[in-house]
Amino acid sequence: MRIPESILKKVEKPGRYVGGEWGQIIKDKKDVDVRFAFCFPDTYEIGMSNLGIRILYDIMNKMDGVWCERAYAPWVDMEKEMREHDIPLWAVESGDPLADFDIVGFTLQYEMCYTNVLNMLDLAGIPLMAAERKKSDPLVVFGGPCTYNGEPVADFADIMLIGEGEDEVVELCLLFREYKHSDMTKEEFLHRAAQIEGFYVPSLYDVQYNDDGTIKSYTPKYGDIPTKVRKRIVRDMDKAPYPENLVMPYIETVQDRVVLEVYRGCIRGCRFCQAGMVYRPVREKTVERLNEAAKKLIDNTGYDEITLSSLSISDYTCIDKLTTEMLKWTDERNISLSLPSLRVNSFTKELMDKISTIRTGGITFAPEAGTQRLRDVINKNINEEELLRACRVAFSGGKTAVKLYFMQGLPTETDEDLDGIIALAREVIEEFYRTPDRVKRQPQVTISAACFVPKPFTPFQWEGQCDYDELCRRQKYVTVKNTDRKIKYNYHDAGTSRIEAVFARGDRRLCKALIEAHNRGMRLDSWEEFFSYEGWLDVFRAVGIDESFYANRTFGEDEVLPWDIIDIGVTKEFFLRERHNAYKEKTTPACSEHCSGCGANRLGGERTWCPKNAITSE
Amino acid sequence: MVPEERYHVRVKFSKVGSLKFISHLDLARTMRSSFLRAKLPIWYTMGFNPHPKMVFSLPLSVGTSSLCEFMDFMLTEPIPYDEVVSRLNAAFPAELRAISAYEPTTRFCDAGWAEYEIVFDAPNANDELVARIKDMFAGEVVIEKTTKAGTKEVDISPLCNILSCERADGGVVIRALLSCGENSFVNPKYIIDHIAANAPEMADVDYTVCRTGVFMPDKTTEFR
Repeated sequence: MRIPESILKKVEKPGRYVGGEWGQIIKDKKDVDVRFAFCFPDTYEIGMSNLGIRILYDIMNKMDGVWCERAYAPWVDMEKEMREHDIPLWAVESGDPLADFDIVGFTLQYEMCYTNVLNMLDLAGIPLMAAERKKSDPLVVFGGPCTYNGEPVADFADIMLIGEGEDEVVELCLLFREYKHSDMTKEEFLHRAAQIEGFYVPSLYDVQYNDDGTIKSYTPKYGDIPTKVRKRIVRDMDKAPYPENLVMPYIETVQDRVVLEVYRGCIRGCRFCQAGMVYRPVREKTVERLNEAAKKLIDNTGYDEITLSSLSISDYTCIDKLTTEMLKWTDERNISLSLPSLRVNSFTKELMDKISTIRTGGITFAPEAGTQRLRDVINKNINEEELLRACRVAFSGGKTAVKLYFMQGLPTETDEDLDGIIALAREVIEEFYRTPDRVKRQPQVTISAACFVPKPFTPFQWEGQCDYDELCRRQKYVTVKNTDRKIKYNYHDAGTSRIEAVFARGDRRLCKALIEAHNRGMRLDSWEEFFSYEGWLDVFRAVGIDESFYANRTFGEDEVLPWDIIDIGVTKEFFLRERHNAYKEKTTPACSEHCSGCGANRLGGERTWCPKNAITSE
Repeated sequence: MVPEERYHVRVKFSKVGSLKFISHLDLARTMRSSFLRAKLPIWYTMGFNPHPKMVFSLPLSVGTSSLCEFMDFMLTEPIPYDEVVSRLNAAFPAELRAISAYEPTTRFCDAGWAEYEIVFDAPNANDELVARIKDMFAGEVVIEKTTKAGTKEVDISPLCNILSCERADGGVVIRALLSCGENSFVNPKYIIDHIAANAPEMADVDYTVCRTGVFMPDKTTEFR
């Protein structure tokens, strides 16, 4: 341990800074020539829960001569001590400063962590701008969902790894090793990297702009690098490496259990949802593989809880068989099994009886919109009847509280749709009283309303976000309209959602706003106590950026989008078709019912639903 | 219902390094997962939410390491004690070590004294300072104790013995035997604060504390 003990004794939760956990990988530095610092740009408790890091940490540490360690954003009390005592940011395994590493990788999980990335680089003493880093500095790479449009952080990354990282990190380490031990220049190295599928080197693409501020074109600097960087996928989920052991945190973390990834992708196609598009095509693992992996993980980690993870777990084709097989051994060993993200149409009495966490915990459904019309617009294919049926199952199972997720500010939303939110909550209350075997207590419905944020690679990527004042008005509208004490209405901060929208659909010119924000000491923007909407507006004013250009403007359908440089498999034509269907209030069936020709089939791999003869357009 | 067989086991263990900064609650979580990894058949409580029953001995402040901690639990089948030790050590993080396991014959409240090694990182310390520190503990040792009822001054001299105080390796090393009785527990922090209060040059000095032994009320018989 190299941080002075006097500091560790002073800060909150020192356990997050000292490493030493069961399952951490320690290697002899003599045997290592590529050192990778895997950084999560938020606190330890959040970062330790990330599935992607768990997978890639395992893969890299299985490579000879490669040592992957972890680093997290310090909390403010620790940051203050670090700055006061000139302690550079370190990796928890070795305690060595990040600046000593060969590669420093960040996973970008949400836009509001961008300031943390800069703050961590700064605390590590690593130059922020890729152009200022020499061969002797660490190579800085970004990955994770935000890199599907990583343009707002393009100036800070040497390379972005687009798509699923399992193979990419291996190829990166191997190429880096060659570079390190040769006289290859950084420019030559980046040029080589840019030729690997999924490796996006922002500095090798020039961006030209039109007079109106929109993008004119992306121009590759070399003829032998792709004009569009295609995301990588794992071709066979059953054969893909999955960790058999985990680092076991001493302190409590957000997702403190075994997370078993059941499949990637989503068959649903909700039109606001980025995850449902970027992880296509749907690729499932087999029950046998999952059951075996679960047993090993439980044996090796000592966790007593497993959660099955995927975007919509009940859409797994073998969910019944999987839970039955797993319960055969989890029950007798006091291991609890949990299922997140249940759809109303899959919520049955059998399932509720089977899964203990559903028995004991709260129950949450996500109708997303208050009226059938708007649910059709967003392609959330559930109806009121299904929702009420699911609630009835919960009520007759002894539950009294239901949480409902909604989104406000969705395209075409009117006050009628907002009334629908309250009406739907009321119907759920009514359903409680209509359930004969309900328990004798008061029902409670909690409405949790997020603000719609248009995201790249969705049918709604062109939509301008609802104006800030209007978002606030709609929140107030529902607050006032809700007169029922059995209904609680919570909503997300509109300011945060607006800044998120700026960076979600932003381009490279936003890099200077991030630098400005960093210089003003802004960080931990995903923490309510540190986020300042006014602070961000000041930043944009200072650097001459009009935030509404990114957040609130409706982008033209023929416009070059900042993320057009990336190919996720799903085509722009499909998104356009879906956008037009949305305005026609026309729904699109799930992949399991009918292929809608989204384009992800072109990526190949062992796909669960895609027709074998590739369809790219209908 | 046939009464379940239960075998009482006490494990003596050490926690050093990163474990110093792990709270009691988090240590219990680590023990729980370690037992599962070690596949030791620990007895679970029978309630609605069954959990492994574990009882820990003396409190240990966050930041303090220890070579002498105790934990009691029950197994549902007999396992040789040396096997309990080796299986736990295979499942423990590196800085948590089981030292011995045996059937307990005492209660935790039977312990009377705990020995600590306090090391001050004070390269400039001289013999005069060492003599002064010894002097601070020669007569009454009046400290301020804060309880729910308020702050009061207490003489803890009957509850603390300074076994030695010397200069070593650019610092001052103090070995202290402090009462650890249930109603007379002396936190080593009182000793450190007392020194800081009476020798201003020690106020901002970095220090480490390690519990090195636990004894019966006669001060010489090792607690086990």
